[in-house]
Amino acid sequence: MTRRTRRVLVTLAIGLPLLAALPWIASPVVVQFGINMLIMATLAQGWNIIGGYTGYSSFGNSVFFGLGAYGVGIAMAQFEQPFWIGLGLGLLLAVIFALAIGLPVLRLKGHYFAIATLGLAEVVTAIVSNVPIAGQNVGLVLPLLKSDVLFYELSLGLLLLATLTVFWLSRSRFGLGLIAIRENEEAAAVMGVNTTRYKILAFMLSAALTSLAGGVYAYYITFIDPAGAFDISLNVKMIIMAVFGGPGTVLGPVAGALLLSVLSEVLASKVTNIAGLFFGLVIIVAVVLMPRGLADLLQKFRRSGWRYFAQNIRSHRL
Amino acid sequence: MTKILQGHHLTKRFRGLVALHDVSFELNRGEILGLIGPNGAGKSTLVSLISGTLTPTSGALTFEGRSLLKITTHHRAHLGIGRTFQVMKPFPGLSVLDNVCVGALFGRDGGEHRLEAAREAAHACLEFVGLGHRVHQRAEALGGPDRKRLELAKALAMKPKLLLCDEVMAGLNHVEIEEVIEVIRKVRDQGISILVIEHVMKAIQSLSDRLLVLHHGEKIADGPPREVLADPRVVEAYLGRRRS
Repeated sequence: MTRRTRRVLVTLAIGLPLLAALPWIASPVVVQFGINMLIMATLAQGWNIIGGYTGYSSFGNSVFFGLGAYGVGIAMAQFEQPFWIGLGLGLLLAVIFALAIGLPVLRLKGHYFAIATLGLAEVVTAIVSNVPIAGQNVGLVLPLLKSDVLFYELSLGLLLLATLTVFWLSRSRFGLGLIAIRENEEAAAVMGVNTTRYKILAFMLSAALTSLAGGVYAYYITFIDPAGAFDISLNVKMIIMAVFGGPGTVLGPVAGALLLSVLSEVLASKVTNIAGLFFGLVIIVAVVLMPRGLADLLQKFRRSGWRYFAQNIRSHRL
Repeated sequence: MTKILQGHHLTKRFRGLVALHDVSFELNRGEILGLIGPNGAGKSTLVSLISGTLTPTSGALTFEGRSLLKITTHHRAHLGIGRTFQVMKPFPGLSVLDNVCVGALFGRDGGEHRLEAAREAAHACLEFVGLGHRVHQRAEALGGPDRKRLELAKALAMKPKLLLCDEVMAGLNHVEIEEVIEVIRKVRDQGISILVIEHVMKAIQSLSDRLLVLHHGEKIADGPPREVLADPRVVEAYLGRRRS
């Protein structure tokens, strides 16, 4: 435990100043790329709480993202409120939504939970498209703030908040309760874990972080519409990044998001047309060779060497 | 003696199948009650009704004088009911210590909330069942006998008043069975009431103060081990009718 703690702290101490200094040394294009990357990392980290730690593969997180975005959009474009109010509004919307929807949906397990949450995005898109205050299907235009450095640092702060939350989780009673639910829900209940309450709290925590990222993103791109804000492919990206890095670990999802963002950016600039193809290939190879993510690879590769990959292929009967 | 657990006319139906039919029983404080019966007799079903993973179709169940029927599974753990599973349910991805730690953190009265104190309690439980040397291994790395011990340690870490042991000796050899019997006796000496399901007849005979026999979901005998095992109905349930 102490060694793991030290690793997290050292990574933060080295990584954080480097990331924070980036906007002052890099070109605007890189900064814009950085904002997207940091927001993706925050989303992956938010998904990590419900998907990685609790073991419930949520496809509803893009809804939380959208609600966060619309909170900012409605507050700023319709009521001319400051950004912070909008952020709070989005947070409130997302957390209440997680509570209301979590009660029925978190009774489902495995694939059924995934399918039920998958439907949510469609439903919410349809609802928002018909709400006048949310600009219906035309969308909302937010006031322009041309300061990429500010958005960059804001996104970085958000990622730090998400990572510290997960770090606290990983060494708390609450977190161990969530892991127990993931590993065996029936046994967890028999041992005294209030599984219903814990699952809903995890869902709400995940929703809170995700909605904040959505709020920042909305202000950054200054325009939101239902199709963009509740985009289900964003949810797929969160899952890919979290799982690639290592679900249920503190730094895995962040590492996964940073690496995959860079990779897809490089591919997009080198082989423009078929970048998606290469990206897909990387994902497939990663899933086959290291199904438990980078974190597990780093941990076990030292001991098993190249056999690690062979073991994975064998144990998952591919 | 005061009664810690009482069941009145418990029935459990799974659609057409009657797993338990009109079973009444009681467990005295500080007693070891052996629950036996052939496969499919309804033993594990009864344990699940008590621990709360199943709800009875009809009947009543009281623990320390209060009805359990409306009480959720995790709340029963807080009241002091701990169980092991016949089909072991460890948390495979966690270390052996953290597995037991979950019991210490969430068990009776909501458990010990401080992580370090819970770890120490968990460590003591693992020493108690003889797993002290494997605390840092992953639970999935343990073999059969050690998994049985782990199940026991997890339940004990909850500091239960009532311990339900579902076949903790199955698959163990003679030496290991002796060790587990010794552990269970020591648990009883701490004042914990115990319900043991077991197939190993010799073990349960020497361990139990009283035996309860189920057959096809019905109670066919209840009393001191020697008397119960001599009961013709019990002999018939296990060995079949003598042809003469």
